[in-house]
Amino acid sequence: MSDNHYPALHDVDAIQQAFECAGYICTRRIATVVRLAAALEKPMLIEGPPGVGKTELAKTCAMVVDRPLVRLQCYEGLDESKALYEWKYGKQLLYTQLLKEQLGDVLEGAQGLSESMARLRQFSDVFYSEDFLESRPLLKVMEEQQGGVLLIDEIDKADFEFESLLLEVLSDFQVSIPELGTIEARSKPLVFLTSNDTRDLSDALKRRCLHLHIPFPTVGLEARIVESRVPDLTQSMTEQLVRFVQAVRSLDLKKAPAISETVDWARCLVLLHARDLDSELVTDTLNVLLKYEGDIQTAEGHLPKLMAAAAG
Amino acid sequence: MPEAKVSPSASSDQLLDFVQYLRGKKIPVSPADTLDAVEVAELTGYADRTLLKHGLAAALSKTKDELTLFEVAFDEYFHPRNLNSLANQSPIHSQNDVEPSPAPDRGPSSEQASEPNLEPLEGLRGNALFNALESQDEAWLSVAIEVAAAEAEVEEIILFTQRGQYVRKMLDALGDETLREAAIEFEQSEPAAFEAVQALREELRERVRDRVERAYLIHASAATEDLLDESLSKIKLGNVDHGQMARLKRLIDRMARKLAARHGRRRRRFRKGKLHVAETVRQAIPTDGVPFHPRWRKTERKRPQIMAICDVSGSVAAYAKFLLMFLYALQDLLPRTRSFAFSAALGEVSDLFAQLPVEEAIERVNLKYGGATDYGRALQDFSDLALAEVNSATTVIILGDARNNQADLKAYLLGEIKARARQVIWLNPESLRLWGTGDSEMLQVERHCHMARECNNLRQLEKIVDKLLSDRR
Repeated sequence: MSDNHYPALHDVDAIQQAFECAGYICTRRIATVVRLAAALEKPMLIEGPPGVGKTELAKTCAMVVDRPLVRLQCYEGLDESKALYEWKYGKQLLYTQLLKEQLGDVLEGAQGLSESMARLRQFSDVFYSEDFLESRPLLKVMEEQQGGVLLIDEIDKADFEFESLLLEVLSDFQVSIPELGTIEARSKPLVFLTSNDTRDLSDALKRRCLHLHIPFPTVGLEARIVESRVPDLTQSMTEQLVRFVQAVRSLDLKKAPAISETVDWARCLVLLHARDLDSELVTDTLNVLLKYEGDIQTAEGHLPKLMAAAAG
Repeated sequence: MPEAKVSPSASSDQLLDFVQYLRGKKIPVSPADTLDAVEVAELTGYADRTLLKHGLAAALSKTKDELTLFEVAFDEYFHPRNLNSLANQSPIHSQNDVEPSPAPDRGPSSEQASEPNLEPLEGLRGNALFNALESQDEAWLSVAIEVAAAEAEVEEIILFTQRGQYVRKMLDALGDETLREAAIEFEQSEPAAFEAVQALREELRERVRDRVERAYLIHASAATEDLLDESLSKIKLGNVDHGQMARLKRLIDRMARKLAARHGRRRRRFRKGKLHVAETVRQAIPTDGVPFHPRWRKTERKRPQIMAICDVSGSVAAYAKFLLMFLYALQDLLPRTRSFAFSAALGEVSDLFAQLPVEEAIERVNLKYGGATDYGRALQDFSDLALAEVNSATTVIILGDARNNQADLKAYLLGEIKARARQVIWLNPESLRLWGTGDSEMLQVERHCHMARECNNLRQLEKIVDKLLSDRR
């Protein structure tokens, strides 16, 4: 067990506290999974609606364990040359040009073709060495001496082929480069994968991960999050706001507001020096909370009900 | 919590049992997952129930739905009520070598018979089972019950109705016979002793029943579920009753997922085609014009666009429902599916399906377009509405029994559709030998379709959709 790599993640309660100090209020479930992932050296697959703090969790974790965060944003068409490594073609070419001039010196006095080849061969490996290797995120995190935090964001956006590529990296923490052989991680990184569930991930990938589903938070939890993120908002306002948002989530919306939207809204209200949550204020600022015109109309239609919920 | 005291080996057996239980609840758990779970449990320990639950959930449940199922299953399985019996079970693992049949030597119990008329029970004092029951010797009873369970092969139980039979077998193995004979003997002469023996026997029976039910929950429900799914996929869809809808929906979703996985992959494999010269040259720039990486033109395989025309009149409505359910479960692979419903008139119902959950949409469709069937008018309406959009990528699926109440079916319209479309498939819920009998126009229809199939259960439906997706004409 590699608890000693990340001593900060040794105990569930300690994790919860450390994360809170770093400004991330997490549930016990989240802390448990982080603890297990660190101890079992398994990647974490985090799912949940957009904006509940999946990416933030990885960032906070990097902060808590005090290791560099390497982020790999996935998109369609992402391949190994962008995720893993690439040869520095330009540099290789330049060096070949330089070597050309010295070719005469090198081959001086060589007898016949086979001897010339033997001499040249001494140089061929130079071009495929780590000097000419451009590390991309996956390789970079493995080169970290003390281990790091790898965030593979929105894995569901990447192609199916890329997932297969990840399998080797995630289960053995090693990368195979045909010209160089297998490169192992100096120290096993903490891996976070996030998914917005736009497509099913392959079973092979799922099986290698610990699963964490982060749902929308409960009233109490959300109030604590808003408090820690927007300390300038008065307590009564925070409570009203959170109850309002919770009521909005129960409506039939295209995109329910997530924690990040709640926090944004809270910041807006602070900027506007709002003292009380009244319908006028809500109507004016609802576009911060909801991102679709249709959703805003739906919410406005239910405004009296929502206001009643906010009042508690 | 009592589980804190359970010895490690017992706990890991416990965990394996729990994994079995999860499989029964339709959460797929692979052996590798099980190993993960064991590791997790070693880390979390069994003392903190929530910690254990969160940890196991992370290792064993893979989706949101599975998580919900898992939480219910965990609470059921590790219910404090069950835990007591689990904790008591632990001696089995440590004392397996202890032969349960000879009675642990116990002298006449100190708190013996407070009432004098229980005197006759003295005759039973030599009986180990009786002693254990009377003194509530949990350890002895648990071991004896486990041994009896093994003897009765209780883990083989498949059906709920077999419970009685297994309880009987286990009681026999335990030696309940002696107690029964004693009870019969006392019944007339010694009412108090009779009561006492019967009470103990009832308690024993209760314990045995618990054991059998646990075996059923763990081992049989998984088998039974598979059996039900199996038979449901072969049953005529028209006969599926309301209670089975949820299961059927799950089954359809699973089949759809399977098809999606299969065909999603195949599409990519056929991508390599001709060399893409421009792209290859561009890629060769960093290598000084030497084309290290040939690029290929991607052959975009057109996904079939499906237009489903469904008869929703009484006799066929049920089948239409399942066809639409299936097609819409495949939304990922068939994103531009359009659906039309008719009975008397025909109308497009795609929007309904895009906006509402399938079940509700179907209810609405039935309300709106139900009535006496008129295929001629329906085909005419379809031609007016959508014929212009039928092209070489369109697959038209028509679901109906082609029974047109002796009216003209206007088969030439079907011919027009066939001429434009990639393919026209007619699905008929009636069995093949009824085609063409009575007012069925099926023989006439068949000529104007690329394919006409009997389709009245899920198996057939799956085959047809599979064919549809792999089609590369």
